[in-house]
Amino acid sequence: MKIVVAGKGGVGKTTVAGTVARALARDGHRVLALDADANPMLGISLGVGPEETDALVAVRQGLEDGNSEHEPTIEGFVERFGTDAPDGVRLVVASRIDQFDPG
Amino acid sequence: MTVCPPLPGSDRRLRVAVAGKGGAGKSTLAGTLARVLARRGHRVLALDSDTLPGLALSLGATAPAEPPLLAAAEKGEDGRWRLKKGIGPARAVQRYAIDAPDGVRLLQSGKHTDTGLAPVMGAVNVFYKLVARLNEPAGLREWTFVGDLSAGPRQIAYDWAPYAERILLVVEPTWQSMLTARRIVRIAATPRAVAMSLVVNKASGQPDVELVEDFFGMSALAVVPADDALRDAERSGLAPIDMAPHSPAVAAIEQLADALAAGSLQA
Repeated sequence: MKIVVAGKGGVGKTTVAGTVARALARDGHRVLALDADANPMLGISLGVGPEETDALVAVRQGLEDGNSEHEPTIEGFVERFGTDAPDGVRLVVASRIDQFDPG
Repeated sequence: MTVCPPLPGSDRRLRVAVAGKGGAGKSTLAGTLARVLARRGHRVLALDSDTLPGLALSLGATAPAEPPLLAAAEKGEDGRWRLKKGIGPARAVQRYAIDAPDGVRLLQSGKHTDTGLAPVMGAVNVFYKLVARLNEPAGLREWTFVGDLSAGPRQIAYDWAPYAERILLVVEPTWQSMLTARRIVRIAATPRAVAMSLVVNKASGQPDVELVEDFFGMSALAVVPADDALRDAERSGLAPIDMAPHSPAVAAIEQLADALAAGSLQA
């Protein structure tokens, strides 16, 4: 199944997404948790830890740093940029705004 | 950092913007602070750059369905949005700001519609064009600005509150809120140095305050307590200052207004 969690800031999107991911994993699903928020915090709700979550490398940053310019497969992205969370959940952070970027 | 020289009669002027994680209480703080400052004699322009609703409710203002700034926008020959000829910041505030209680004026960006932002892109675009020039016009020199930024670090990254001399960082005692605010601090230090003040919101006690203060290594300019009266106001869609004028949270925001107006703050 593929689920997306949406809503206004502060209503509990991250808490719901993280807990649902863990619960599904405990039920035997192979779970990919994808944090598509530019201010990614899903790792906290998954149990990765606050500072650990803050230090995760996002896919976009990884690409810009030249770690993987030619990664051809989605599986490769998950493998290369993913992080292990409890209960076997695999967490991938899409992007993070962490520097000044005059749009 | 641009600081306009003090002018006669403008010593009551403040220029602040409120930033923080979604749900931290930015709009509630900005709306209530704007009303409090207006009651103390400031001419207040509230600036709502969020494309989701919020600040109008906290101010107790009724925003029209169609953003007034749409009437100030047109597309140039290059296909880009621009301000119509003859419309600058002062005139835009005069014509397109909405009246809020206590004499506050509210200038809003375009708001998301049922079909997205496309129908209001003109209003979104010219809002940012105006905001970038708010420090220019003589006609607004004596105004106090209170800005409400949208959630997270994005708007800070683009320096969308260039008028602000101080950013009020609203932080709940949660890791999500603190980490988001730390990103904002780091990003805001990049384009131009701007003074930052910490506001701990929804504090349930001294341990909450200490958690946030220790994390940032600075003391809070204000502590707004967790307050059921404020939650009830938000539930009913009314301005906290109207529905719960004597609540502890509104009292804390009044103290914040005093601290800001005292002008003794270190940058």
